[in-house]
This record gives sequence, structure tokens and C-alpha cells, in this order.
Amino acid sequence: MRGLLLKDFYMVWKYCKIYLIVVLVFIAVFIVGDNSLYFVFYPCLLAGMIPITLIAYDERSGWESYCKGLPYTGVQIVSAKYIVGLCCQALTLLLTGIAFAARMIYAEKFDIGEFLYFLILVQVISCAASASVLPFLYRFGVEKGRIAYYVMVGLIVAGAFICMNLNQKDVSGGAALTWIPWAVCATGIAVYALSWRLSVVFYRKREG
Amino acid sequence: MNALEIRNLTKSFGSFKLDDIELILPSGCIMGLIGENGAGKSTTMKLILGMLHRDAGTVRILGRDNSEDIRLIKEDVGVVMDEVGIPECLNAKQVAGIMRRTFCRWSDKEYDRLIDKFEIPKGKPFKDYSRGMKMKLGIAVAMSHGSKLILLDEATSALDPVARDEVVEMLIDFTRDEEHSVLISSHIVSDLEKLCDYVAFLHKGKLLLCEEKDALLSEYGIIRCNAGQLKELDPAAILHKKESPYGAEAIVRRDRIPSGFQIGPVNIEELFVFMVKESWEVK
Repeated sequence: MRGLLLKDFYMVWKYCKIYLIVVLVFIAVFIVGDNSLYFVFYPCLLAGMIPITLIAYDERSGWESYCKGLPYTGVQIVSAKYIVGLCCQALTLLLTGIAFAARMIYAEKFDIGEFLYFLILVQVISCAASASVLPFLYRFGVEKGRIAYYVMVGLIVAGAFICMNLNQKDVSGGAALTWIPWAVCATGIAVYALSWRLSVVFYRKREG
Repeated sequence: MNALEIRNLTKSFGSFKLDDIELILPSGCIMGLIGENGAGKSTTMKLILGMLHRDAGTVRILGRDNSEDIRLIKEDVGVVMDEVGIPECLNAKQVAGIMRRTFCRWSDKEYDRLIDKFEIPKGKPFKDYSRGMKMKLGIAVAMSHGSKLILLDEATSALDPVARDEVVEMLIDFTRDEEHSVLISSHIVSDLEKLCDYVAFLHKGKLLLCEEKDALLSEYGIIRCNAGQLKELDPAAILHKKESPYGAEAIVRRDRIPSGFQIGPVNIEELFVFMVKESWEVK
């Protein structure tokens, strides 16, 4: 699978550099701006979109068919996209985490509970973005899968803001470290794992 | 050993059915799979590679059933598709990096030799290659991992005559080793006629014939005569015939035609067209 991963990293570097620039610009705006969480959540959505972009490029170039002739299993082909997705999400988590911490330190209001809650939310948003769309892509192809992406963006943005508002109203400081954020985190990971499995099943079904 | 043995291979989807295909490609040989668009050539290729699940039949590649461990088998099989399939942003050097991590027996030395031979620029992205260059890169990849069987699916169809000729030479070179074999599908019959030891005709999912090319050409011929003369012939000698107000044409078995008849040589394209044209009466 190392070949698949290397190929995807070449493609991420070539086609997704712009995402990195957008992420950095958004983070800069967040640090110096008016504390709008939109500027950190949007990069997370972008990170979740990278595997979707890669699949679209694979379909266009014919790699999707070609790689089936290479010594890879369907599980490996699907897993490469999920692993690349995780790497992009980890990078976004790191960058947005640094930005959030910097913002709190700058305002002299660093709160470990709020910081962890933020990280969990960012991680769940990134995971959910890929996890909710990739199975549709493997089931229906890139064109129809895009519809799922737009629905997912709407739902995640709404969900994220509800969560942040809940946090601000009901939970403060160390109280944020209740079981709820951890449950959200665990659910996010479980959904990602389920999505991974579903994508493998759909991929095999599409093989005919 | 046979490089490829396909028996009773069947696959249906929707109204299309690939029906009971039997093909045997001996090692060291090149087989051309000839068929019109939609005949089932790509489906056959995909079934060989395990990219589709067959409904019935068996496929043995280099002596191993392709349902056993297709990953191991694919180490020995080079694949070149119609669109090659290499991502547009990659260059030949990056492709080598990916394939080195894909195939156990990848040879940088062989790849570099072929890249130099085909004059493929190493640093140029794939999207900037000509069609012929793209195909040559695909073939270089297919030949650089110790493959014993190369499958080419419509790989020569969109090439200009010069590039096509180069590809044909590359494949002939490859099969100089008795362990190396090629299965190439195309609807451009002239390419395959130059190249192949065996030909298989596929039409609407059915295999019309699979024979050694030279035997086929010596076995069959074309007779051009009038309708009356045609009727005098042994019906068993006529493979296919076409009658018009201007005369008759028939593909015949040479050994069953009485002396006195002028039998012209038939080429693979004529033979194929005769066999697939529905409007012609099939004996």
C-alpha cells in the first residue's frame, strides 16, 4: 500500500497546496480577528474534502481502473484514501490547535478544558466530513457523491455551532471535561471506522 | 505451460452477456483479441484481472487460478489500459517511485533502460506527454516488474501509425523470451495481424473463433464468383457467404474446394468482418 500512499501524497502536494494556503489564511484571520469559529471550522471541512478531491482526480485520470490491475486489494485501495485523509486531518488539527491556543494565551484566558473541547470538535468535524461522504462516493461515484458532500457541509456547520454554543452556555472551564466531549470524540472515531468499512463494502460491490 | 487458460467464462450484466468464453494462450506467444466496440473485450480483460466477478468458468494465469491470490498473480502481469491511467501530475521519476513500492520485483535498471530507449522525458508531467509517449510509459511500467504476461486493452487504438509501429516492436521484443506472453485487445485488426501468433474473434459477447493466425490464413480463402458457381460448392466448405446482384463472395475452407476455383488469400480483417456481419448468412 506504500505505493498508493506515495501516489496520493504526490497528488495532495500538487493539487491541494491551495488548501494549505487557505488554512493558513483562515487561521491568521482567526488569531487576529473577532473570535469567529468559522475560520477554524472551515479549514477542517477542507481537510475532510481532500480524499474526495483525490478520488475525483483518480476517476478523471483513469487511475481508478488502472490500480485495479496492480497488486493491491480493494481494502488497500480504499484504506489509502482514509489514511491520507487522517494525515490531512492531523495536520489541520495541529495548525488550528496552535491557533486556538495562541488566541487564548494572547487573551490571557487559556483554559485546558475549553482547549480540549475545541480539539475534539475539530477532530470530529474533520472526520465527519470524510466519513459521511466517502461511502457515497464509493457507492454512487464522484458526481452523485458530491450531493452528499453539500448536505454534509450544511449539517456539520450547523452541528458544530450548536455544540460550541452549548459549550459556552452550559459548560465552562474544567467542567467541559465531562464525559460528553469524550463521547462525541469516540462517536466521531466510530463513525470514521464504520465509514471506512462501508466504503470497502461499496467498493467491492461496485467492482461487480 | 500456458500463460493464460480461460474456460467457460461467463458474465452477465443487464442485456450484455459474455458467453462461455474459451481461450488458451501458450507461453511465448501473442494473442490478439479482436472485436467491435462493445463485443466484450474489456470485460474479458477485467475478468482475467479479477476486476469483475465472473458468473461461471475458470481463469488460470501462468498456471494459477485467478480466484486464489490475485495479488500475487498480478506481480507477474503487466497491464496497459486504453487511457494508461497514470495521474496527470506525475512524471516518469515519480511513477518509478510509486511502482517500486508496488511491485516486489520492480527493476529501476530495466525501467530506466526502457525510458531512455523510448526517449521519455523523466521530469515532464504525464499530462504533457503525447499519446504515444503516454502509452510507451505505460508499457515501460508493465515491462519493468518482471512480468511474464502483458495485457493490453485497446492500448494501440488511438496511436498514430509511427507510435503504433514502435509499440508493436516493443511487444515483439518482449516475447522473444519464451516465458513472456501478450494478450492484446483491439478493434483495429491491422495492428494485431502484424503482431499476433493467435487470434480470437469476439462478437456480442460470444467467441467466434480462437486459432493460430498462420493456420487460419492457410486454412481459409476467399472465393469471388457468381451465385450459380457458389451453389456448386460443398456447403460444408463455406464458412460465410455474401450474395449481391453483382456476384457472390464466400470465405471457404481451402481443402474442400475443387480445383479450378480461384481462391484468394484472406486477411484477418476480412475474416473478422465476414464472421460478424449479421446481414450475412451464417452457415
